[in-house]
Amino acid sequence: MAAAQALARIVVHREARRAVAISLISLLVSLLLVPLPLTYAQPKSGGELALVSTEEPDTLDPQKTGTAITGQLMRYLGDTLITKDLKGNYIPALARSWTVSADGLTWTFQLRNDVKFHDGSALNAQAVKASIERALAPETKSPIAGSLFGPVAEVQAAGDFTVTIKLKEPFAPFLDNLTDPRAMIVSPQAVRDLGDRFGRSPVGTGPFKFQEWRSADRIIFARNPDYVWAPSYVHAGPPFMDRIVLRIMPESAAQVAAFERGELSVLAVPPTDVRRLQGTNKYTIFSFLRKGVGLFMEFNVTKEPFSDIRVRRAVSHAIEKNSVLQIGLEGLGEVASGPLPPSIWGYWDGIKEYAPKYDPGKAKALLAEAGWRPGPDGVLQKDGKPFSFVLYTAPIDTWTRSAQIVQAQLRAFGILMEIQTFEFGTLLAKLKAGEHPAEFMGYTYTSPDIVQLWFHSSNIGTGLAFSHDNDSKLDALIEASRRETDQGKRLTIYRDIQKYVVDQVLWVPLWTNTNYFAVQPNVQGAKTHPDGFLVLNDLWLK
Amino acid sequence: MRAFLTRRLLLLVPTLLGVTLATFLMLHLTPGDPVTIMLGEFASASDVARLRSELGLDRPIVVQYLKFLGRAVRGDLGSSIRSRRPVAEEITERLPPTLVLALAAQVLAVCAGIIAGVTAAAARRPSVDSAIVAVTLVGLSMPTFWSGLLLILLFSLTLGWLPITESGGLRALILPSVTLAAPAAAVLARVTRASVLEVLRQDYVRTARAKGVSERLVVYRHALRNALIPVLTVAALQFAGLVAGAVIVESVFSRPGLGRLAVTAILSRDFPLAQGIVLVVASMYVFLNVGVDIVYGVLDPRIRYQ
Repeated sequence: MAAAQALARIVVHREARRAVAISLISLLVSLLLVPLPLTYAQPKSGGELALVSTEEPDTLDPQKTGTAITGQLMRYLGDTLITKDLKGNYIPALARSWTVSADGLTWTFQLRNDVKFHDGSALNAQAVKASIERALAPETKSPIAGSLFGPVAEVQAAGDFTVTIKLKEPFAPFLDNLTDPRAMIVSPQAVRDLGDRFGRSPVGTGPFKFQEWRSADRIIFARNPDYVWAPSYVHAGPPFMDRIVLRIMPESAAQVAAFERGELSVLAVPPTDVRRLQGTNKYTIFSFLRKGVGLFMEFNVTKEPFSDIRVRRAVSHAIEKNSVLQIGLEGLGEVASGPLPPSIWGYWDGIKEYAPKYDPGKAKALLAEAGWRPGPDGVLQKDGKPFSFVLYTAPIDTWTRSAQIVQAQLRAFGILMEIQTFEFGTLLAKLKAGEHPAEFMGYTYTSPDIVQLWFHSSNIGTGLAFSHDNDSKLDALIEASRRETDQGKRLTIYRDIQKYVVDQVLWVPLWTNTNYFAVQPNVQGAKTHPDGFLVLNDLWLK
Repeated sequence: MRAFLTRRLLLLVPTLLGVTLATFLMLHLTPGDPVTIMLGEFASASDVARLRSELGLDRPIVVQYLKFLGRAVRGDLGSSIRSRRPVAEEITERLPPTLVLALAAQVLAVCAGIIAGVTAAAARRPSVDSAIVAVTLVGLSMPTFWSGLLLILLFSLTLGWLPITESGGLRALILPSVTLAAPAAAVLARVTRASVLEVLRQDYVRTARAKGVSERLVVYRHALRNALIPVLTVAALQFAGLVAGAVIVESVFSRPGLGRLAVTAILSRDFPLAQGIVLVVASMYVFLNVGVDIVYGVLDPRIRYQ
């Protein structure tokens, strides 16, 4: 008993001493960071940017990660062969230039010759080859990076700074996938030296280099002073800030409080706090449209009553989307029309006009045509059965509210919609099995290739083809979109796919949400990239 | 005493076996597997199948469980699926902050609980007693995720006294330990109050009063010592509950710790990591119970173990 108490005392003392040491260090750090009076707005070096994430990375190895936050961090830690500028054009990064053979199978990249990894080793063709081969190797067990490169037959170092990637078949998403941060080139020397520990001390070529990772607490990156190979959409040379610190905070209310107290520089604002933070006029607020459709209603075309296209079309005319947006999402987004949002390349602008609009007359006529007649209680009936179905959905606030609006709107047409909520994993399993008549879904993705996952019949039962629509015409369109390497022709194919999905009324797209970032007033030069991240190279602290 | 200890420690084996089997089954029976969670909903079926076989998740559950057991008896808890680090390393890194938090909360709870309980029991005015009882009711009823946020809003944001994003050191320990301690302190206050009231009705207390001993001495010297036995039992058993309660408090205050690690492991269906954590926490619980039994004997000479 006494021994235990003594032990407890020692533990407490040691903690206390460490605490004093830590607060001394943080005091010193904060003294060093006191901003100097500024007379003109020239970018100033130094300082620390505090970011926050709800989720902790699984690993910082870009080739082994499955978490989104690691992808975001890799944008600061690494470089890819090519990248996208602020308008979404493909521009050189580690590769100065690239060519593709006429058959779309052989891609040749000319590398820069002035790039060094954070460990001092040089980036050359051998390093790129080793990095890509590691991503593809089965022993890497790569969740995402491995599949980004597509059907690779061979990677060759054709010269000191020339890399050739040979594909087994044409792969249209190839170029876009190469801009994914998880396709960054990692240092083969560090991979060799560090082995399994690479994921806790990654080495890339990016504007920031890894400094420290305190589990469940923070990840610290330091400026890479040698960074002179920045892509053309930011200034040449190393970034201005000394450090970026990513705090890991699971509770979003605590994040908001920490941001308002000035402990965080940037905050992804939760929908409930958007209006309030905007109202304070203290912070710069950036917003961008989510890359995906935030919410859509999808029909299972193999089940009654939505196997009848007239019924699907009637429902699409019966829903007044703007009310769903205003009430379900508090207006923080825009109404969706097709399977792709304006924020994803390949979106066809004509879809807004093309998609069915709220039209009670048409809805009633189509329902009548399909044999549904009002019963004595006002509910539609056909062959003595009432028009009622279950909408499967997930426990997401904005979805639940939207479901209630849709429920009320359909009730006005004599359609009874019951809402059933499932935990996300369970929901996906049920949708794959096809036991639902209709469901609510949403997605975020970077490229239009997403249509393959939602609509190609090979994904019925295994992937996301929850409409269970086995349609050879749609399959053919999707396959063509993946084979075609001419961007102009791909655009035409994607337009046709969007029109076709709307024609078949597989979805009633409802809304896409706007994401909001709030930034402290001392943060200057902040830019958001169309791929949905904050560009840090040009950012400096006043 | 030795035979008792041996018996109790031997019981550890079936207990842990049962606990790991239950966790294993629960994790495997809940929908969703680590690979689909890792790869996300956009993964292709072939990618899912590939990674599943690479991670050995395509083998029968029985084989997976036996493999886990085989390694565990040799002291190898395997590697986390999510982070790919050794489970033992993850746990040893995260256990100390949780123990510190639970210990701090325990100390706070015992001090506050006993003081409040005795004050309520010995209060001359019934209004003081009722007020304390009412406060304990509030302390008991407030969920920690809510009271924690309220404390952050008051002390960090409005008053600006304490930082929010700091995670090490004493200052960062104040709000989380108070949050975690509040319900425990409320329970202890109620137990103490009841226990002291009961002891105060004993004959020897009446004798002491009759002798003219001051009320202060009666309560604090004569009554409290005897009244503390049930209080300490409850407090000791509470410790395990505080470790468990750290799950929520650690999330609200963004503290690194075992609780948050457990949540991540379960949400990502990280079987080896979740198993390892359950194994460690269950062992702690068992040892703690044995410890409480021993302390019992020390505190109350009437209790003897054969």
